[in-house]
Amino acid sequence: MNNIEEKLWNYIDGTCTADEQSAINKLIASDEAVRLKYKELLALNREFATMELDEPSMAFTYNVIEAIRTEQALVPLKAAINKRIVMGIALFFVITLTGFLVFAFTKMNFASMGTADILPKVPANFKMPEVSMHFSKPLVEGFMFFDVVLGLFLFDAYLRRKKQAHTD
Amino acid sequence: MQSKLSDIELIDQVLAGNQAAYADLVKRHQRFVFTLAMRFAKGREDAEEIAQDCFIKAYRSLGSFQRQSKFSTWLYSIVYTTAMTFLRKRRVDTDSIDDEDTYIQVENQSSAYDVNDAENKSRSFYLNQAIEQLLPDDATIITMFYKGEQSLEEIAQAMGMEANTIKVKLFRARQRLKEKLERNLKHEAKELI
Repeated sequence: MNNIEEKLWNYIDGTCTADEQSAINKLIASDEAVRLKYKELLALNREFATMELDEPSMAFTYNVIEAIRTEQALVPLKAAINKRIVMGIALFFVITLTGFLVFAFTKMNFASMGTADILPKVPANFKMPEVSMHFSKPLVEGFMFFDVVLGLFLFDAYLRRKKQAHTD
Repeated sequence: MQSKLSDIELIDQVLAGNQAAYADLVKRHQRFVFTLAMRFAKGREDAEEIAQDCFIKAYRSLGSFQRQSKFSTWLYSIVYTTAMTFLRKRRVDTDSIDDEDTYIQVENQSSAYDVNDAENKSRSFYLNQAIEQLLPDDATIITMFYKGEQSLEEIAQAMGMEANTIKVKLFRARQRLKEKLERNLKHEAKELI
């Protein structure tokens, strides 16, 4: 009976060939048991089509759109910055530094220089500014401590991102 | 108000930067996506989480949608893989997914709920109850076939299987659904007597 039931379902779904269809047509017309089975499956088919869809919560669409917005807002700054701007800044520095180097080399007189002349001459009255008084020990220690904390914070953020990427 | 535009027209608008068009797409498909999620999760909260996750994933990959199939077929393939991942994350291994006993609890819960809600005791209620008792794959195939306007080939595409496999699975799923429906109705008749 399973075989005929399978054929009847194919007949109802319209997935059988024209030959199979005409064979089943004949069978339904001639065989009472097949006709009853066909009627039963047809009724079931109609009943299955009445199944109801579940309804999500009222705020479902809003939640989806909000989640998308939040995700977009969380794009890291690194990815949000236009790469062309970064490249432009890098190019500016490369050109400027190259320009200075080229200028400095063209102004040098390599032929007349002795070893002593290589170093630029500092004026006699020139005095280096006193900066050591600004760097007291507690200040340097505080600065180092801040650097260590910042380093740990960045390392933690890096590990979290790595873990998140692994989970996704 | 829901848009009258086709899915493809809405997708074009979303890709052009109109996020409101995506809200229309969500509204159009949310009931079906949520129902499919319910076939796996068996709980509204989890189902909403799965459905939401599906729409976010679909939004992210909308640019890669090839348009060789219906948007709904593509979306349902996301639902199926997301729901399967959800089941795996819940550490429900393949054996227990195939084990119908896993769903006995759901069956009993539904029966307990019935007693106080006479209005729900319609044929349609028993049909939905029987679907809930099916295995996730069976319930998904039945739902996609009858409510998702999907052909056997499209269901096969969404579930990553061969069309012939889906045909056999659909046949078996219908048989199981019929058995469960009859059993539930008999059980109810006995309770009334």
